[in-house]
Amino acid sequence: MTDDREASSDETLCRRIAARDDAAFDLLVARHQGRAYRLAWSLLRNAEDARDVSQEAFIRVWEAAGRFRGDARFSTWFYRILVNACLDHKRRGRWWTRLVTRDADRDAEQSLVERQPAPGPDPGDQVSEAQTMARLWSAVHRLSAQQRAAVILYAQEHLSTAEIAEVLRIAEPTVRVHLHRAVAALRKGLAP
Amino acid sequence: MSPERPDDLTPAERDLLSRVGAAAPAPPEPRWGDYRAQLQARLEARRSLGARLRRRWARPAPIALSFGLATALLLFMLRPVDRRPDFAALDEAVLGARLELLEHYRVVERLDLLEDFDVIRQLDHVPSREG
Repeated sequence: MTDDREASSDETLCRRIAARDDAAFDLLVARHQGRAYRLAWSLLRNAEDARDVSQEAFIRVWEAAGRFRGDARFSTWFYRILVNACLDHKRRGRWWTRLVTRDADRDAEQSLVERQPAPGPDPGDQVSEAQTMARLWSAVHRLSAQQRAAVILYAQEHLSTAEIAEVLRIAEPTVRVHLHRAVAALRKGLAP
Repeated sequence: MSPERPDDLTPAERDLLSRVGAAAPAPPEPRWGDYRAQLQARLEARRSLGARLRRRWARPAPIALSFGLATALLLFMLRPVDRRPDFAALDEAVLGARLELLEHYRVVERLDLLEDFDVIRQLDHVPSREG
């Protein structure tokens, strides 16, 4: 049983990918595609970009699998590749892309409110809470790229500050500073 | 949000961040079959590109040609670009042409002195001894 788990662990699959094992690559993609796409979408907020960038991250895994040393967890290494790909994509973004994204943000805010479940006993409270959540999510996307990445890795992917430091290749105290500043900015964004 | 995560966030900060996790809307789900097929196609394209480049660079002729071109370019860029005339050599040539003057060095010396005092240029205006 333990051997089975060992044989199909991410780290083992990565070693098999380094030996150019297509089946191992397919298995790894099937295992991580949902999470990779969701994280890319949270950072980029565009479905097409999220699909492209998460696929690019898997291709980089294929290309760099031989360099995976195994001293860190595969997930940390993969997150690093993916987050870097997202940040690269953001840096390459042109002004008109940002304008379009801003419009998409407004649509997303609206659709988030619409997506909330039907109001229960106190419709006013429900709508207000949904609007607060939409404003909070919108405020996340006004953070700097590094702060946003730190917040999403912490809040959505449940990584520790040490793991976030490893993913973003920054010192752990810097991650804490990013989180403190992000929280301050989010509070400001939520203030009426 | 696991409470055992070591960080120095206050409970209020943790609460706000946990709300961020809850606020994240679900992304539009792609068709995973299409997603994987597209990924495979991209991977194949990348592999064939890599193989093409490896094949190309593995051939000795392009390597030799590229190396030769790079060396020629390097030599062209590093060649001396100082094309100013060599004034010392020019001076020597002029002096060489006037070498016979050295035979009358005393006269040349006096003429030089007179030139320094602007006598030669004003020679026409110098009153004659008779005058």
